[in-house]
Amino acid sequence: MPVTETILPDHILSAVLTLAKREQAKHGKNVSRLAFRSHDFQLQEIFSGLQRSGEYPILNAFVFSDSGPEPYSPALSESVSRLQLSGLIGRENPDYEIVFLRPAAERYFDDILQKKFSQYEINQLRDVATQFLKLVELKA
Amino acid sequence: MESSQRPTLAERVDGLVRWLFDGYITTPPKGAKVFNDALLGNLLFSRHEVAVIDSPILQRLRRIKQTGLVYYVFPSATHSRFEHSLGAAALSERCFDAIQERAAVEGTILPVSSDRANGDLGHLRMAALLHDVGHGLCSHASEQIYELLSDLQEFKNDPAYTTNAPGEILSYLIVTSPTFQKWFDEYVVHACNAKLDLKTISQLILGKHDDPDRYFLANIISSSYDCDKLDYIARDSYYCGLALTVDLPRFYSMISTERHPKDPKHRRVLVLRNYVPLEQILFSKMTLYGSVYHHQKVKCLDAMLRSMVGHIVENPTQSGVPIRGHKLISFTDPVEYLYVTDDEFFWQPDGFGDGYIKTMLNRFRNRDLFVRCLEISRRTVTNWNDYGRQTLIDLAKLPQSLAQVEDEIHKHLNPADRAKCNKHDIRLSVPTPPRIKTENALIQTSKNAEPENIEKYFPLEQWTEAYAHNKWRSFVYAPREIAPAVRDAAIAVLKQYSKIEIDETKSNQTCHL
Repeated sequence: MPVTETILPDHILSAVLTLAKREQAKHGKNVSRLAFRSHDFQLQEIFSGLQRSGEYPILNAFVFSDSGPEPYSPALSESVSRLQLSGLIGRENPDYEIVFLRPAAERYFDDILQKKFSQYEINQLRDVATQFLKLVELKA
Repeated sequence: MESSQRPTLAERVDGLVRWLFDGYITTPPKGAKVFNDALLGNLLFSRHEVAVIDSPILQRLRRIKQTGLVYYVFPSATHSRFEHSLGAAALSERCFDAIQERAAVEGTILPVSSDRANGDLGHLRMAALLHDVGHGLCSHASEQIYELLSDLQEFKNDPAYTTNAPGEILSYLIVTSPTFQKWFDEYVVHACNAKLDLKTISQLILGKHDDPDRYFLANIISSSYDCDKLDYIARDSYYCGLALTVDLPRFYSMISTERHPKDPKHRRVLVLRNYVPLEQILFSKMTLYGSVYHHQKVKCLDAMLRSMVGHIVENPTQSGVPIRGHKLISFTDPVEYLYVTDDEFFWQPDGFGDGYIKTMLNRFRNRDLFVRCLEISRRTVTNWNDYGRQTLIDLAKLPQSLAQVEDEIHKHLNPADRAKCNKHDIRLSVPTPPRIKTENALIQTSKNAEPENIEKYFPLEQWTEAYAHNKWRSFVYAPREIAPAVRDAAIAVLKQYSKIEIDETKSNQTCHL
């Protein structure tokens, strides 16, 4: 039976992180893995900035609340949790501040996600990934 | 097909409120009243609050269990949304008093009024009292079904409401409905002389306040450590018989308010002076998820409710739920879930609906529940480190795809087994991770320190990581008589759909097949 074509916020986040890893490789950086320092509230800040720039319509899947003191998207927060739950990303001891991409995420992108997105969307996601790499503190 | 003339969600909610008040004769209460609560003791409510408590929108909550169908597993958990609402109102005042006391000691001027009938405290208590009036049949069990209906998704995509749960949005719409406003104005504002503004109350329910100096009041109603959570964690664990501890007096002594450091509006938010009380809240919440809300039999009961609702949606004429006024409820609209309470749904003397619904109602009456056919977990999935889980977890957000997978499992049965069951008898339950809202959760170590995000002190993410690895389990449920056949079909369908490979022997050990 066919896998659904619907694009969920989880798919966008997963694709951005996978493409970020590949962008790293293009620039000759350590390509063994993508790992960065970030708590959820920091990811909220990064993605709200990118979404509110208006340059990446694909990020409109993450709706950020305009009523609280800080930008907050429940969809982004839930996506992070679900990617952890599905084993596509992990967090490292002891402080759980380092997020890393697991190998399954790349296989998921190649086998499933790539077919869900148009080339236009992939290009946007790649641009988001490039910006994302500039905004996070990468770890070896 | 939806007609272009279909009333808006707000209009349909007003229709519900009119229906609730139909035939209700308001008798203004004589005075204040004390309610004896098993958990919190004697709770004093003012005359205007008693008027609201006596009204149909609060009384309806007596017939909605706080923890849905959990009482089939934890027999004492029969507490209702009604007593939780009273408890939340009482705890909101305790938070308010504690904040004021600390402010007085530290010399902080808070421009809030403690007047119960006209001031900020009155608005706060009323918001807490009304915060759950938007709950429907079996509380969160039906919320999981109707939250994906299009009307509520529109709210989810609106930056003004995106952080609010479906129940909060429906509570807000009930409180702002013209019918309730008119009643409130006549019997609360005028008859009881309580100068309360429903707009402020409705905003508090959504976790908002227009006044930057009073924004922390919204945090008391809706935040990481709000009065709702304080009450339900203590109440649910008490009635489920779990010995969990949230040291409420310690919590009150550790709350304060401060200007949010990053907020352009410089709003005054609720802060914690120590993270230990929040640690207790989170620990208790995770324990409740693991032991109660995500208990395999509770998920089974939720799935069985979905079977009935799914069948009613597909067969509204013969299976619709009759309610007062001869209207038939078919569960295609989020508001319809509020017309029916647990009592009316499960305990109609002659039952309702067709043969399937009657069979299911009998199952509930006799606690003849579906059984686990297949466990999908770290222990049973042989290719756990591949991406199959994500495809499966996606189904929690895609009800139509989930129904397709369940339908496919039904089709995979051989004709003899298929004849023994309805397609709604096969349920795939995909739990989502526990929601730990960290928005607005700030720690301020001393009066002069800058508030910092809670994660800098206490890694909330470790809970979801630990849950993902050790606690998360998905199950396929079906009636006992066809369980082995459903297991075999489900293994084949899930392998095809999500590339998940399951060790049947290990799964059988859990499922007792």
